[in-house]
Amino acid sequence: MKKTIVSKEYQNLQKDIIALQENWKKSINPDSINPELDKAAMSAGVPAAALTSINFEISLFLQWIEEINVLLSKNNPELEPKLAGVITLLNEETVIRWIDEAFSFNSVYFASFAQENGLDEWIPQFLAETALRPYLQLTAEKIQHEVTHAIPGAGCPVCGEPARLAVLEDEGKKVMTCPRCLARWHAKRIECAHCGNDDHNSIQFITIEGDSSNQIQVCEKCTGYIKVIDTRQYLSKPSASMLDLNSIHLDFVAQEQGYQAVGEIKQTY
Amino acid sequence: MATEYVKFVDVTKCDGCRACMVACKNWNDLPAEQQDFLGSAQSHAKTTADTWNVLQYIEHENSKGKLDYLFRHSACFHCTDAACEKVCPENAISYTDFGTVVIDHEKCVGCGYCVNNCPFEVISLKEYVDKNGDKYRKAHKCTMCTDRLEEGLQPACVTTCHTGAMEFGDKAAMIKKAEERVKQIKDRYPNAMVYNPKGVGGTHTVYVLAEKPSVYGLPENPKVPTSAVLWKDYAQPLGKMMIGATTMGVIGMFISSRIINKGKQDEGGDSHE
Repeated sequence: MKKTIVSKEYQNLQKDIIALQENWKKSINPDSINPELDKAAMSAGVPAAALTSINFEISLFLQWIEEINVLLSKNNPELEPKLAGVITLLNEETVIRWIDEAFSFNSVYFASFAQENGLDEWIPQFLAETALRPYLQLTAEKIQHEVTHAIPGAGCPVCGEPARLAVLEDEGKKVMTCPRCLARWHAKRIECAHCGNDDHNSIQFITIEGDSSNQIQVCEKCTGYIKVIDTRQYLSKPSASMLDLNSIHLDFVAQEQGYQAVGEIKQTY
Repeated sequence: MATEYVKFVDVTKCDGCRACMVACKNWNDLPAEQQDFLGSAQSHAKTTADTWNVLQYIEHENSKGKLDYLFRHSACFHCTDAACEKVCPENAISYTDFGTVVIDHEKCVGCGYCVNNCPFEVISLKEYVDKNGDKYRKAHKCTMCTDRLEEGLQPACVTTCHTGAMEFGDKAAMIKKAEERVKQIKDRYPNAMVYNPKGVGGTHTVYVLAEKPSVYGLPENPKVPTSAVLWKDYAQPLGKMMIGATTMGVIGMFISSRIINKGKQDEGGDSHE
């Protein structure tokens, strides 16, 4: 029995990146993150991080990008020449833009940035996202006590990432977790995270034979899915980002069955 | 070596639901076995080749003269110093990195030494018939779901237990938990104890028993049989040494006789000329 289709090498690279991010998080001054939570905005689905003023330390951000480049080059020497020039492209103005665009996951901006500067398409967004996450994760830690539930369809209440992963804990409690900022919030066991549908007749579960700890919860109303992982069966509990990566086969299965990572209700006029 | 894990079974929390038996059959794909009624709720007298864990139901008169209905999840103990491993002539039984004891069915010849020497009587032989109609046997027992452990998952029986009577975790933490639990239940069960017998070097299934081990049909102080120690630690290495010495002797004889014969042949060759 194999629990994941992801190679050990790639898992180890991800673990190294997560370890770097944990270290980076320690060097952020907690006072540089000031949540100004607005209950009305949050109940309308605005992510809390958008209501938080964060004083980004530009020099730290640049240092982290260098560190991630070193790690990637060490892991795969072929990447070294491709990553070498990135740091020279970054000035204060660009870094601020990168942070803004990474926060709103603006793939179009990063794709055009890569094209303009002759970089591989994945490089700018990957670097910006990796370096942004410690700030998001610290924000989530700071406001976790305020986050109890999410608005269906609005994604993670802290960073706005589409909801896609839940874990089962204790007596079977379903806790949604965000692989991006590691925020956690409660959800009903039979409830679609995308459209809020809680009708047991139209929520189904797809399981894979021999894979006893994973389920895919699918909604027939909005055709959205989330992955539900029973971490009570695990010897040690991996972080949400590792769980998300290691359960990528579930995304393939769900999408092959016609379900989507972000559900949508077809409007009929 | 990976972290040393043990299965902690607190029989005083068990409600006899038998979900552990079902989970084991399900995970290990073991067939059902027709059984005669045994006079109680217990399904099988003991573990068999196709039933790797059995829930015991014991009606016991306690020291106050009252009836206690006791349950115990019984399965392989995964001894640290396992008699089955010692007596196996084919080295088919071995320890894993998790400390669990597993049988390699490719190597097992079905001799049954492990069955006779297990102090807890948990190993059984299963009979198979090959394509020529010949019968052969293999030893079977609980593997502590080593295939799940290797993937970072807990054993199937533990994950299904709804009363929390079973836990799987770090050895020291589990033993500490067991000792604390015994203190909590002393009022109700004065004979309560942690069962982690030293005679077999400790086990990888640690129990909190409500009564003395004998009430559950367990040996009070199980030991690796002396014959098993003699066999594995002395006779087998000595035997291998002897084989080595004999082989060397035979090879030595062969070479020296060749040299002598060659000498003789040479002499003979001379005489012909």
